[in-house]
Amino acid sequence: MSAVLEVAGLHAGYGAGDILKGIDVALEKGRIVTMIGPNGSGKSTFIKTLAGLLPARQGTMKLDGERLNDLSPPKRVRAGVSYVPQEYNVFRNLTVLENLKIAREFMAEKRGNGSAIDAELIELFPELPAHFGKKAGNLSGGQRQMLAFACALAVRPKVLMLDEPSAGLSPLLMVAVFDKVKKVNAMGVSILMVEQNAREALRISDTCIVLAGGRVRSCAPADAVLGMKDLNRLYLGADVL
Amino acid sequence: MQTFFNGIITGVIMTLPALAVTLLFGVLKFPNFAVGAMMTVAAYLAFALNAQLGWPLLVASGVAALAMGCACIGIDQLTFKPLRERGAITLMVASLGLGFILENIARFAYGNTARSFALELARPFRFLDLRMNREQIITIVVATAAMLLMWLLLTRLPIGRAMRAVADNPALALVRGIESPRVIRWTWFITGILLGVGGVLIGMDRALEPPMGSNYVISVFGAAILGGLGSPLGAFAGALIIGVVSELSTLVIAPNYRIGVPLVAIAIVLIFRPQGLFGQPYIRK
Repeated sequence: MSAVLEVAGLHAGYGAGDILKGIDVALEKGRIVTMIGPNGSGKSTFIKTLAGLLPARQGTMKLDGERLNDLSPPKRVRAGVSYVPQEYNVFRNLTVLENLKIAREFMAEKRGNGSAIDAELIELFPELPAHFGKKAGNLSGGQRQMLAFACALAVRPKVLMLDEPSAGLSPLLMVAVFDKVKKVNAMGVSILMVEQNAREALRISDTCIVLAGGRVRSCAPADAVLGMKDLNRLYLGADVL
Repeated sequence: MQTFFNGIITGVIMTLPALAVTLLFGVLKFPNFAVGAMMTVAAYLAFALNAQLGWPLLVASGVAALAMGCACIGIDQLTFKPLRERGAITLMVASLGLGFILENIARFAYGNTARSFALELARPFRFLDLRMNREQIITIVVATAAMLLMWLLLTRLPIGRAMRAVADNPALALVRGIESPRVIRWTWFITGILLGVGGVLIGMDRALEPPMGSNYVISVFGAAILGGLGSPLGAFAGALIIGVVSELSTLVIAPNYRIGVPLVAIAIVLIFRPQGLFGQPYIRK
């Protein structure tokens, strides 16, 4: 299977020091890859660098062979990289419908068909139309997460990057979120996910990447990692799994 | 009742610059103290076209407003864009300097003598016991139409939604595919148009003189802060409230002291409701 996203020797960080110290990752088409690791290991930094919110200091990032390094964040979205931040992932002062519209409006020139919402999206998120007129800031945590998801999908990405999609959600909502992730993946979207609820995330993933100290420590099939007894101690530093 | 009506007119005049302040603050997160001088320059431009070249005031005002919109894009490129990464305080100080320069350009060009647009004199008339004149009616109609157009732009057009999105969460806007530079250019253009129209309305209400715009700056900021910086509806409501309360205050205090009303409003709002009447509580992202 060919890689949709290829990252080689990536260095990035804030201030003087590097948080990412030479990351090599390849995401195969149609796969779900979950990235785990202790706090401060660089998981969110990695995703933000791919999204263009942080500059890459060294290394290359390619999407379907197209170099991403020199593209601005909006151009990366148009290229096919969509990102759902962990927090503040919807426009709170815009309505649900406006959030969805804005996600699509600026894609009309290259990807998507320019219309605000399509039937496929509504089928995937049937709960959203009931809240179209509501301000996104007034939604519950779970509803906000679903809206953020829908907005990220509205641009028809090749790769969807999720930063802690289940953070702050109840166990029931967490299951619903991971169920959506699976459904989105079934539509052919490759998914790169950073997640603290590692056990739940790995259950739906194909591959697990363990990050520690800004380096890739392990890249293995998700079910094999799920079966490892001492992974907590080795890589997560807590009883996360 | 007449004082209340006069207050409404004062408030209506302030709605456009207050909206310009709140729009710019929402997107670029700095208070632009050059708004007064920008209104002055636009008003003088309309004066040049109307009184000196003989154009009808409506056409002269439209051209002046469009020119100010374009000038604002240029001003941003030359003045504010290079300083954008240095924070709101630097941009605010730059706007103070820019205001000083613009006001004095008007002063060098036209001197300190008060001037007025070439408008036919019309007799004031009475309606429901209120004494009003043609300029006041034009002010109400133009400002209301401008506010409606702004509402349509912000809620119905993609660029308006994008402006609100950038104001709401600039980082998220980037990863949703919104090109911030384009949104910023549009914001400056619309700001310039609002200030252009606002300058002409002030010139019609009072006289054209170099400090005509600066005299309104405190009231305009009072209105924007009272309504909630970043909230267009708040700017509208804040301007009307400040206008009416300022005029009504002259019934109990000397007119010279009414400039204190917006300052008191700013102080009260910042103490009891920092986000203003319609603003959202600030959340650091």
